[in-house]
Amino acid sequence: MALAEARNNIMQSKEGDKVISSVAMVVALISFGMLFLTLMMSFALYRFTAPVWPPAGMEKPSLLIPSISTFLIILSSLAYFSFEKKTAKGLIDKQGLMMTIILGTSFMVSQAIFWNQLKSHGIFVSSGIFASVMYAFTWIHAAHIVVALALLVWLYKKLSSPDKMTSVMVSSAGKFWHFLGIVWLIMFVTIFVL
Amino acid sequence: MAFFEQDIHDAPSTFLSKYVFSFDHKVIAKQFLWYGIAFLGIGGMMALMIRWTLAFPGEPFPIIGDILFPNSGGIVPPDTYAMLFTLHGTIMIFFAITPILIGAFGNFCIPLMIGARDMVFPTLNMLSFWLAVLSAVLLLASLFTPLGGAAGGWTSYPTLSTLIGSAGVGQTLWCLSLFVLGVSSTMGAVNYIATIITLRAPGMGYFDMPLTVWGLWLTAVLNAIFLPVLGAGLLLLTFDRVFGTTFFLAGAAATSGSGDPVLFQHVFWIFGHPEVYILILPAWGIVSDLLSFFSRKPAFGAKATALAMTSITILSTVVYGHHMYSTQMSPLLTQSFMMLTMVISIPSAVFFANWLGTLWKGSIRFQTPMLFSLGVVFVFGLGGLTGLYLATVSTDLYLHDTYFVVGHFHYTMAASVLLGGFAGTYFWFPKMYGRMMNERLGKIHFWISMVGLNGIFMGMMIIGHAGMHRRIYNPFVYEFLQNLIPLNRFITYSALVMGAGQLFFVWNFIYSMYKGPIATQNPWEVGTLDWTIPSPAPHYNFKEIPVVRCGPHELGNPNLVGKDFQYQTEELVKA
Amino acid sequence: MNLLLNFFMKFFVPSANAAEHVGFFEAIKPPIDISTNGHLIDSLFQLTTNLILFFFFFVCLGIFGFSYLYSKKRHPKPLYNHGTSRKQLALVAGIGALVFIMVDMQITTISNHDFINHFLNYPKEENEKVLRVEVLAQQWAWNFRYPGKDGIFNTEDDVVTLNDLRVPVNTKVIFQVSSKDVIHALYFPNARIKVDAMPGRISRLWYELTKTGLYDIACAEMCGTFHYRMQAKLTVYPQDEFETWQKEMQERATHVTEQDKPDLFWGWQWESTSTLSKN
Repeated sequence: MALAEARNNIMQSKEGDKVISSVAMVVALISFGMLFLTLMMSFALYRFTAPVWPPAGMEKPSLLIPSISTFLIILSSLAYFSFEKKTAKGLIDKQGLMMTIILGTSFMVSQAIFWNQLKSHGIFVSSGIFASVMYAFTWIHAAHIVVALALLVWLYKKLSSPDKMTSVMVSSAGKFWHFLGIVWLIMFVTIFVL
Repeated sequence: MAFFEQDIHDAPSTFLSKYVFSFDHKVIAKQFLWYGIAFLGIGGMMALMIRWTLAFPGEPFPIIGDILFPNSGGIVPPDTYAMLFTLHGTIMIFFAITPILIGAFGNFCIPLMIGARDMVFPTLNMLSFWLAVLSAVLLLASLFTPLGGAAGGWTSYPTLSTLIGSAGVGQTLWCLSLFVLGVSSTMGAVNYIATIITLRAPGMGYFDMPLTVWGLWLTAVLNAIFLPVLGAGLLLLTFDRVFGTTFFLAGAAATSGSGDPVLFQHVFWIFGHPEVYILILPAWGIVSDLLSFFSRKPAFGAKATALAMTSITILSTVVYGHHMYSTQMSPLLTQSFMMLTMVISIPSAVFFANWLGTLWKGSIRFQTPMLFSLGVVFVFGLGGLTGLYLATVSTDLYLHDTYFVVGHFHYTMAASVLLGGFAGTYFWFPKMYGRMMNERLGKIHFWISMVGLNGIFMGMMIIGHAGMHRRIYNPFVYEFLQNLIPLNRFITYSALVMGAGQLFFVWNFIYSMYKGPIATQNPWEVGTLDWTIPSPAPHYNFKEIPVVRCGPHELGNPNLVGKDFQYQTEELVKA
Repeated sequence: MNLLLNFFMKFFVPSANAAEHVGFFEAIKPPIDISTNGHLIDSLFQLTTNLILFFFFFVCLGIFGFSYLYSKKRHPKPLYNHGTSRKQLALVAGIGALVFIMVDMQITTISNHDFINHFLNYPKEENEKVLRVEVLAQQWAWNFRYPGKDGIFNTEDDVVTLNDLRVPVNTKVIFQVSSKDVIHALYFPNARIKVDAMPGRISRLWYELTKTGLYDIACAEMCGTFHYRMQAKLTVYPQDEFETWQKEMQERATHVTEQDKPDLFWGWQWESTSTLSKN
């Protein structure tokens, strides 16, 4: 009974709310995108004006942990995808969202391990432009991840009493989460691999 | 646009929900207006101190100097002077003009002029205002830190703005303050864009929107795209200051790593040049509308004006390099930026042609908002045309970083925007407060401002051409500037006169709020949607969502009987 | 009351200072032009001014003329016209095109020509007799470095001066400019030219001066509290006097410079400008 009611509530979401939310979310993501684009532009400038990269005396950290991070964030995005699909059908897939949150948190853990590893390799925040890029860019991305995780936890709570805005919120939060995944992928390829 | 069914909410009843944490776009607009006017006062006071120092170096600042600068006997000390011009620029741009033009008029005009009951995200709107307050608190707090506030100029180029050039918490707080303000403005921008796209009244196409809304919309687009660029720059600068990264550090004084101070200039001006248009676009929109309203004839080529605004918006994103000629970019880049900058004069010429076309064969009523609008056309003409010298590489070699630049950007950003803001304030005051402002005081205010600001900024351009460079505490240590003492004094007198003239405005504003004559629903007799509802606007704006049937500038139609304008909700009267 | 009176006496009653002997139009002239290229900037400025005045005249004609002709009193019946006829659109577009062709194209062409052929056309060091100077800006002073007798920078016999630049008249001078701490800008008001001094970068500038005398050098980019005091003097000598001075300084430099003071060797390898002028 309760389930059917919840399903009813979710399916009731208005077309108008969906359109408005997607318009606003797209604009907001363009803003966030410009922030990261500026960082990427700076990185390109440092990368191409430096005679050698990484600069003399610096060593690229091993790709192992960043690769794990990448794997985790891709998995979390996939988990969210299936959660979104089920929500669109009117099902409440609490486990799917929980999975995303857990994978997102483990991404943060892998980032923390990565920073520790950098430190143990003698790459400190203040040891030049290479370290600056490594630390600051991952910090900024991680800060966004933390905000997004908070959003997901809040959404998880909301799922207990779904209403007509729930599916709109699920798709908006999803756009942000996938966006952060894409940003990480770009950062992984440009900063770590290349 | 039946995207959205807007409900009528109950009127807020408590003081807090009505005046402080209000969701109502009109109340938030008024909050932004007061916030902006307060900062206009602070920034103006700083400007007077700067002017005083330049005209009378070594003389104590009259009356309040002893209180503010007790350690130096009332004289503005050199480090405080640097702080003053830094904060004058920051405050005027981010804390005075942005809140007034975008915060106040954006919030007030957009829903009313497109026939919506409120912004699409009222909570986001409220958050946007309170974040702006937080940012102001951060900025003002920086003044009370041990080493004082930021003193690296409003552009805060590294390495001067890193720990090499300015120690202390002040500069860090400045960065954070602007970052928070950027977040606030971006929130506002998202809100504006979504509102205009989704909440236009049924029947209102994009070209049926008043040009004011066009200006505000394009501003919001630029804000949403380019404020994050500044945000990224400020974040990296903050990291440099707090965590010891080296993004912008280079040279002998930097102990580690080689960043690039010029990168910040690129980032700053990628944002900074659109910012100029962010400030001026709302004023252009307001002026384009008011010229038509008070000439009692349709706006000349309104569609062309809207498209010209759009093309300037697009062009503004690719011309930023003209701020950096003296950093010696590659000649190819330099020349491309010069060429692109020059192209801006085509849409600008279209504006002027359309503005003058609107006046042509009108029946002009010289009420205060109209005077201010005409003032904008005059000063923006001067400001825009003098930009040519600075877009040209070879004349910029000489004029870069002189007072000529200061005069030029004050003509465009201060004079035009301020006059446009005043025009809007006089025009929408009846709808905001339900009372009229005093015409006579308004006209006195206009003429004093006009004489004052032309005295100041024309004077600045002249001393700039005579070689006086910017941001110097005492120009007269240089021999080649000795002759400019009288002219510098004249500028300062003009500034004092203009500052005193603003008292007329403040008095008029406050007096009219309580004692002004009650305004009718449509005192200016114009047809846009905001004037179809009572003054002051009720909290739900429109009892019924209006249906739009004609354009915003249908004035002077000879087929009309009994009146010379028609509301946008009426079918266009044809012969 | 007394205070107020004093105040007025001090600032509003003209005092007899030296500046007053100079007429208004004399006072607002840019500083005297002493370089071979300065007149290019002055003449382009004049041309731009004329063009601007031409167009601004029409704007004013529109504002004031229409305000007079079409006020409510004189012209009660407005013309109902949206300005969308083909003729009117063509007129507006024509005005845009006119501004572009008459002003923009003209100024851009001249400026490009001057920029490439004069300001960026660095003298060839191999073929011509040029003076090379390295400039290091710091808070708040200008360091100038001339190569010593060996003609190589950053050696012991370099002539190094503080806030004191001396150059010969009618000789091309090339500067390479950098900064120790923050961004400064080397500004020669009399040569109508300036260039940023940036930490970690070397920027370049050249000029040829035509008049001897003593002139000001200023810092044009905000560089801290005492930015306004970052002043240096430019002395333009006749050829022979410069050579005398240079010889004397070189002589002194070989005796004075202390080898184990690393601070003194702030110079850098001179990068030949003949390769630079091409790109």
